[in-house]
Amino acid sequence: MSDVLLVLTLPAALLWPLLLMLRVPLVAALADRGQPRVPLDGPWCSAPLPALLLALGVDEGTLVIDWWLLGGHWALDGTRGPLLAFTALLWLLAGGYARGYLAGEQARAVAGDGAAEARLMRFALLWPLTLSGNLLLLVAEDIASFYMGFAVMTFAAYGLVVHSQARDARIGGLAYLVMAVLGEGLILAGLLWGAGSAGTTTLGGLREGMLDAPGGAWMGLLLWLGFGVKAGVIGLHFWLPLAHPVAPTPASAVLSGAMIKAGLVGWLFTLPLGESAAGEAFVWLGRTMLVTGLVAAIGAALYGVCQRHPKAVLAYSSISQMGMITALVAMGLVAPTLWPALSAAVVLFAAHHGLTKGALFLGVGIGEHPPRLPSWLLWTLLVLPALSLTGALASGLAGKWAFKAVLDDGGHPAVVTWLSLAAVGTTALMARTLWCQWQGERQARKEGLERLVSPMPLAWLATLLAALTLPWWLGGERFRLGWPPLAELPGLLWPLALGLLGSVVVWAVARRRPLRLPRRLPPGDLWWLLEKGWQRLRALGQGNLARLASAQGTWVAWWLERERDAIRALDGMTRAEGWLRHHAAVLMMGVAVGLALLMLFAPA
Amino acid sequence: MSGGLLLLATLCTSLFAAVMIFLLPERAFRARTGLNLGAALIKLSLVAWMVWGLSRGGEYSLEFPVLEGLAFALRADPLGIMFAGLSSLLWLFTTVYAIGYLEDSPNRKRFFGFFSLCVASTLGISLAGNLFTFLIFYELLTLSTYPLVVHRGTSQALAAGRVYLRFTLTAGLVLMIGMVALHALAGDIRFGEREILAGLSPDHRPLLVGLFWGLIAGFGVKAALVPLHGWLPRAMVAPAPVSALLHAVAVVKAGAFGIVRLVYDVYGIELSAELGLLTGLVVVAAVTILYGSLRALAQRELKPLLAYSTVSQVAYIVLGIGLGGPLGTIAAFSHLLHQGLMKATLFFCAGNYAEELGIHRIDGLDGAGRRMPLTSLAFTVGALGMIGLPPVVGFFSKWYLGTGAIQAGMPWVIAVLVASSLLSAVYFLPILGRLWFRPGPDHGVGEWPEERRLGRLETHPWLLVPVVATALFSLMAGMLAGVPFSPLEWATRVVNTEYLP
Repeated sequence: MSDVLLVLTLPAALLWPLLLMLRVPLVAALADRGQPRVPLDGPWCSAPLPALLLALGVDEGTLVIDWWLLGGHWALDGTRGPLLAFTALLWLLAGGYARGYLAGEQARAVAGDGAAEARLMRFALLWPLTLSGNLLLLVAEDIASFYMGFAVMTFAAYGLVVHSQARDARIGGLAYLVMAVLGEGLILAGLLWGAGSAGTTTLGGLREGMLDAPGGAWMGLLLWLGFGVKAGVIGLHFWLPLAHPVAPTPASAVLSGAMIKAGLVGWLFTLPLGESAAGEAFVWLGRTMLVTGLVAAIGAALYGVCQRHPKAVLAYSSISQMGMITALVAMGLVAPTLWPALSAAVVLFAAHHGLTKGALFLGVGIGEHPPRLPSWLLWTLLVLPALSLTGALASGLAGKWAFKAVLDDGGHPAVVTWLSLAAVGTTALMARTLWCQWQGERQARKEGLERLVSPMPLAWLATLLAALTLPWWLGGERFRLGWPPLAELPGLLWPLALGLLGSVVVWAVARRRPLRLPRRLPPGDLWWLLEKGWQRLRALGQGNLARLASAQGTWVAWWLERERDAIRALDGMTRAEGWLRHHAAVLMMGVAVGLALLMLFAPA
Repeated sequence: MSGGLLLLATLCTSLFAAVMIFLLPERAFRARTGLNLGAALIKLSLVAWMVWGLSRGGEYSLEFPVLEGLAFALRADPLGIMFAGLSSLLWLFTTVYAIGYLEDSPNRKRFFGFFSLCVASTLGISLAGNLFTFLIFYELLTLSTYPLVVHRGTSQALAAGRVYLRFTLTAGLVLMIGMVALHALAGDIRFGEREILAGLSPDHRPLLVGLFWGLIAGFGVKAALVPLHGWLPRAMVAPAPVSALLHAVAVVKAGAFGIVRLVYDVYGIELSAELGLLTGLVVVAAVTILYGSLRALAQRELKPLLAYSTVSQVAYIVLGIGLGGPLGTIAAFSHLLHQGLMKATLFFCAGNYAEELGIHRIDGLDGAGRRMPLTSLAFTVGALGMIGLPPVVGFFSKWYLGTGAIQAGMPWVIAVLVASSLLSAVYFLPILGRLWFRPGPDHGVGEWPEERRLGRLETHPWLLVPVVATALFSLMAGMLAGVPFSPLEWATRVVNTEYLP
């Protein structure tokens, strides 16, 4: 029964966004000139709806389509279902939010601003396209579909990043694209190598084949780094704080909430996690991942608190949170026996971070355009997801308890301690975000309040609700891990207390003597260093290219010279022939005379 | 219809069309168009008939002796019919495109006459049954393409034509000598009689190796292998349909197809591997791929960029051949078709930008996506395919090359593939960015160099339809790769039935 449902709804869930995308230019073409066009209408917002229904209605099932690519194989299971559910929900709510967020642009477009209309059309087209890529990669079990979904999502999202076409959006877009292409290259290398060794076209086959293949850990490394670009692994992370903040707020929310998880999904589907048969090399890969994950979790927090824009702070928080997830995934390689329990915690944590980070990003827009709510209520609502992200309540507490319990039982308290330190950093980041927002909101409040019953506040409130109640509705028995006993609470909450204390101290110091640090640490850290290096390299490379071209020129010239020589030789022959023709008689006479003389004087 | 007659009819359709076009007066536009399209359609259906027949086990061959021990042989085998199918399909689109492109320009009679002669020779190349027949049509192709390359008659075009002749005629000479030597060594070798050379005594091995590289050098000129590629970027002065013909349909492909025939049907893959020839081919191909991509980076104009991209992409075919195993062979055969579809799309698009808006340089493309959305979409499909992103067909070539490289025990080839993907992303993505994300004249910034409103749609319908059709084919051939008679499926079938030991 469920299979029949899947066969019907899975293709519909993937096609529906594409149909809505095609509808946008169609409606625009059919509308009379001068009539106002509303590309972001009700049906447009419904793009992720079938996927959401599918994720909530069907638990398991597979769909095999032989004619598709290299053989299509789509599936839903205990991991994919919850990921699909939270992803589709976030896209749905962010899409609703976008209607309100881009209403100003819409008004300008109706008033006849061509540039605004073009931007709006592009957003309306690329949003569903990005979504369909994201959905496809979640349900794909065959490598080709997975790679296709990943690529479609990555490249279509470029249009969302550069939406405003301002200077920083272009820089963010460039950083995004450069790193995305690099990531695609690494992923392609890993997939080709792995699939070639295993002779398979499915992700499951790839995971199994990697265990026995020579150099399996190197494939793992390539895939980890390739997907790590998307997930913000330290060293490859610097595009995130450049690209995520410059996108329109709903796009930032899905970038930081849903699309960043594509990196995690890539790891979950391609790395041999929880395989006891994995060799020592994989354990070393796991250790590397663990260390880089913890470095990212703590380093990004330290760098992030120095940022001035709330979205940049949130982007660094995403890097930090993904660092924690990286560390948890690494435990699947370091301690494979823990993985069955840990994988549920990872999925829960990912869903929690996705929705909560979505709520926080959407909240930034709410702070800029505050609705008609009393100030205390608005701020309570803005603080709630921040507290949840630090692990103090609701889904955050459940997520944190889920992995803490498993790691404590498995005998890895050190990892828990480090993760708790990262949570201290998260608290500081959240305090910083709220502080930045507080200053912006006071300014915005003077400019007037928005209606409460409009798409933006409603979508934000719904996201908030969904994020906080996550452990109650996210499907499957796997996530019924229960709540921590009271005795465990101090162990879970001390990072919050420490983070708050630290934030207050720093705030008190900064009030006396303003800190200069934030001015010196631009978002995007490594990017600026790399850019400088690239400029130098480029100057060098251009010289070399010029030399190469001149070498080729010399080579061609040499051959042309030889050809000319040959023609000259031919001409010489022609001349010689002419000379012969001219003097033939004389020569013959000479020969005859010579012969005669020879005969005369020859000895008898 | 009997097998031989069908072959002859297919070949003669274009020959007949060529003769008739030369006989018609210059002004007879309608008759010429009708003749062109009719011949292209008839040929396509004849080839489709043979594809159907072959898949059901039919045989098509025809031969008659020319000299003692030397025969003119035509034979339709799955590999040849694959190439014939590609060229007939693309020929239809190129003809449609050329009719639109050359509207109101002088010397159309000469152009279309030689155009038809070209397709006849390409078909001859694909259906040739031995090296001798192959070579006859190969040379005919060279001679009939020259008037097309110099069609515009400008000094630049004439210079490019001279370079073209210089390269191809000397290569033809080398091929001829190589063929005669092979003939002297082993007699008339029909394609597929791989046992003849394999059965020669080991004393002949060094000679065989030498002949192989000589013949590769001969074919390598048309296949644009570095360092013999110099003529290709120069020849971009030719009109856009001719570029499509050079790069996608006939000339470059004929060279690559020659290498395929040489390795698979004359030497045989086992002998080639034994003699260590395949590794050499892989190295040559790898160098060509990287060199072509690097040179493409430095181009400022659209057509030379596409030309260097061809240099790099055609080497994929040679790479696949060099990898040897079944997967590499599938990659080589299917890329023969895939590259044709994608590159034809790209050149048609370049022609559309030049015709409609007068754009030749890459930096002139800003905002062209708004003015010409369908053309730009087609260009996007082609470019993404060249980078190797699914669902466009280019991905499948990369997939089979990569997995084939592992199968052949040469994992370093994956690094070459990834580097080539990255490089093509670096030179194609900025173009896509310009098309779609930069403001241009239609957003009120600047002006098109030379705008002509050729049709009610974004351009003349004869120019638009082929572009959209080839782009759709590139997309569908990828998405429906598992359907019978898709390029990939046919290539797999050819490999499974003919070349697996």
